[in-house]
Amino acid sequence: MTNKPSIFWQKNPALAWREIDDATVIISPTDSVMHELNDTGSFLWKNIDGRRSAAELAGLLAESYEVAPDVALTDTQALLDEMSTRKLVVPIPATGGDLR
Amino acid sequence: MSAPDANSGGGRQQQFDFSIGCVPFQLQMSDARLHRAVSLRYAAFTEAAAEPIHITLNDSSIAGSQHADFAYDFEGAVVRANSRKIRFDGVHNEYALDSLLRILLSWKLTGRNGFLLHAATVIRNGKAHVFTGRSGAGKSTLASLSPNGSVLTDEISLLRREHGEWRAYGTPFWGEFRAAGSNTSAPVHAIYRLVQAAENRVTSLRPVELIRALLPNVLFFSSDSEATRRLLEIVSQAAEETPGYEFSFRKDRAFWEVLPA
Repeated sequence: MTNKPSIFWQKNPALAWREIDDATVIISPTDSVMHELNDTGSFLWKNIDGRRSAAELAGLLAESYEVAPDVALTDTQALLDEMSTRKLVVPIPATGGDLR
Repeated sequence: MSAPDANSGGGRQQQFDFSIGCVPFQLQMSDARLHRAVSLRYAAFTEAAAEPIHITLNDSSIAGSQHADFAYDFEGAVVRANSRKIRFDGVHNEYALDSLLRILLSWKLTGRNGFLLHAATVIRNGKAHVFTGRSGAGKSTLASLSPNGSVLTDEISLLRREHGEWRAYGTPFWGEFRAAGSNTSAPVHAIYRLVQAAENRVTSLRPVELIRALLPNVLFFSSDSEATRRLLEIVSQAAEETPGYEFSFRKDRAFWEVLPA
């Protein structure tokens, strides 16, 4: 990856979450909805820190789970899209500031 | 317990002291009819304790726009709480009061390592068996099939971690059993997710599965992030430290035979 990423991902700061067994349980306080991430989702969740792009997260996934980089990127993007739809994560510009 | 103590504004102020799950409350009200109803409803939980949580009922002499750390409107009855004062407004009967108390208690318990759970609790051999499930899951039936005096509550249980141990308390919040819960507690032996079935059977739950069973049945009304984080921490700890089971329940008295001793 030589292109500089334009978007980093960060956890929605309003959420409550906790790792338990090999899963992550997340509660959205505004609507009391419970979300649950599996092993892979939990791995990504732990590494979503507002300083990594989808490609960088996919790189970590590929390394830890020994999967092909293109497969890791596809899976990571799909998971981020799903988490974004559920408002669990929010994109921020890689240069800092707020995308909204 | 409930001596008149002062005159304030229109009516004579009366107070009522009680305690739920070792959380002491003191209600202050000027409505004599409401005071009688409250005294009857919470008779089994009457207890004066040091430093109770003071609640003022329907006091129009207090300005209504003060800052609230926690506020909730339940069908026109409103609880407002900040660090200095708690007031309930629009409380015209004991049922509205009951609803606001559940709401307030669920919030206060996060600071006391506890939570309220839709669950029947039955004592056997000195240990609490906690059966959680939504309405219709069989909580009241299970309570009615249990020996006299063994039911802490058939509807809402209070769980607290005290001195490294989880205890279940009865509450005065009724279900179909139509009797106030018992004002006692016992160490928690196990928590069960209650499901109706053709035969009685238990299967073990992992902590994450127990959390999945508990969270939809926890009473919680705050949308504050910090309070929700604290609640999740408490419930997760309960799930990690307490044996959890799925209990398929045939609705007969033989169910104890399959439960873990």
